[in-house]
Amino acid sequence: MTPALRVTTLRATALQCLVLAGLAVAAGLLANTLAGPSRRLAWTGAISPLPAMPPLPVLAPRSAPPTPSEPAPQPTAVQGAKALPQPRPAPPVKTTPAAAKAAEPTAPPPPAATGPIREISGPEAWLAFQGKAPFLDARRSAEYTEGHIAGAWCTPVWEADLEDRLISFKAARRPGPDDPIVIYCSGGDCHDSHLLAAKLLKEGYYHLLIYRDGYPGWVAQGHPFDKGRP
Amino acid sequence: MKPPLQHWLLHPRITLACRIALGLVFIGAALPKLADPPGFAKAIWAYELFPSWSLNPLALGLPWLELFCGLALCLGLWLRAATTWVTALLLAFCLALAINLVRHHPVDCGCFGTAAPKTETERLADMRWSLLRDLGLLILAAQILLASGPGEELEADGKANRS
Repeated sequence: MTPALRVTTLRATALQCLVLAGLAVAAGLLANTLAGPSRRLAWTGAISPLPAMPPLPVLAPRSAPPTPSEPAPQPTAVQGAKALPQPRPAPPVKTTPAAAKAAEPTAPPPPAATGPIREISGPEAWLAFQGKAPFLDARRSAEYTEGHIAGAWCTPVWEADLEDRLISFKAARRPGPDDPIVIYCSGGDCHDSHLLAAKLLKEGYYHLLIYRDGYPGWVAQGHPFDKGRP
Repeated sequence: MKPPLQHWLLHPRITLACRIALGLVFIGAALPKLADPPGFAKAIWAYELFPSWSLNPLALGLPWLELFCGLALCLGLWLRAATTWVTALLLAFCLALAINLVRHHPVDCGCFGTAAPKTETERLADMRWSLLRDLGLLILAAQILLASGPGEELEADGKANRS
């Protein structure tokens, strides 16, 4: 094989490589344009997530979790429930005045004490739920449809319509910069809630509570949940 | 005249088997990612190797590139170009897995779409197997590249002309 023929072959291969890449980009663009909201991605960084965040401080629960003698609320699946919070079960009843005071649903502490984003445990998430704090579900919309915390908003951090969903949430709830917002995903090493919190922090919300145990922990605690689309 | 081992290793039937196997693996890897680009973007993000601006373009384009390369390998079209891309992708996958293994950062491979939740130990074990699998696939790609090199194509053309 002559050098000239070899160069020609290499050029042809390089051109074919470029054509394959171009076809892939074109097909990706077309498929993304035709995809539904839950399968679509923004091509550029509008919803690109931030890097993984270091572990956040966990605030100890300010009231004891329900004891085994206390009846825990039963899981309730409300088909087709609306996005706004549903009537909540009564909080646990304590016998002593001090315990009763501790068990009252109160607003989470101000953000200045612990920083704008922090993780919360199950009992504090339950208190926030009773205090009618908004809950944002950062998981994929398909997971939300399968089951979510009652009244939670579907805000899948990886889907292209996140901005629209957040606009709807803000328009309906009108949260102030210091109002508590609870964010959750699947618990464990799920980072979606942290990504959504980082995004909301950039938008000027300074009281973001990440429910560490996520939806599996919520269901395991026997707290109310819904199923179905937002 | 080639040595017997080289003749056997670069036999057209071996090449056909290699490219069909490699092509099917790449088509099988592409389809779940095409069905769920956000899930694949999340999988890429978990590697912590890519800037955030590149995640979505990668998640949208890479599965199609895998699909086209897999189809080209199966159909025998643009073999050298498709194999070059496949080799480059496999090297990149190996490097990404190796870096995260070295820094003990367990990630879901994301190679064949979203996987079920696993423990860190299971993920690390899966990553080692994925790395071995990718190295095995690289051997197949090397066989195709060697067998479909410019000299080989010329020789094949010469044989076809003589017959």
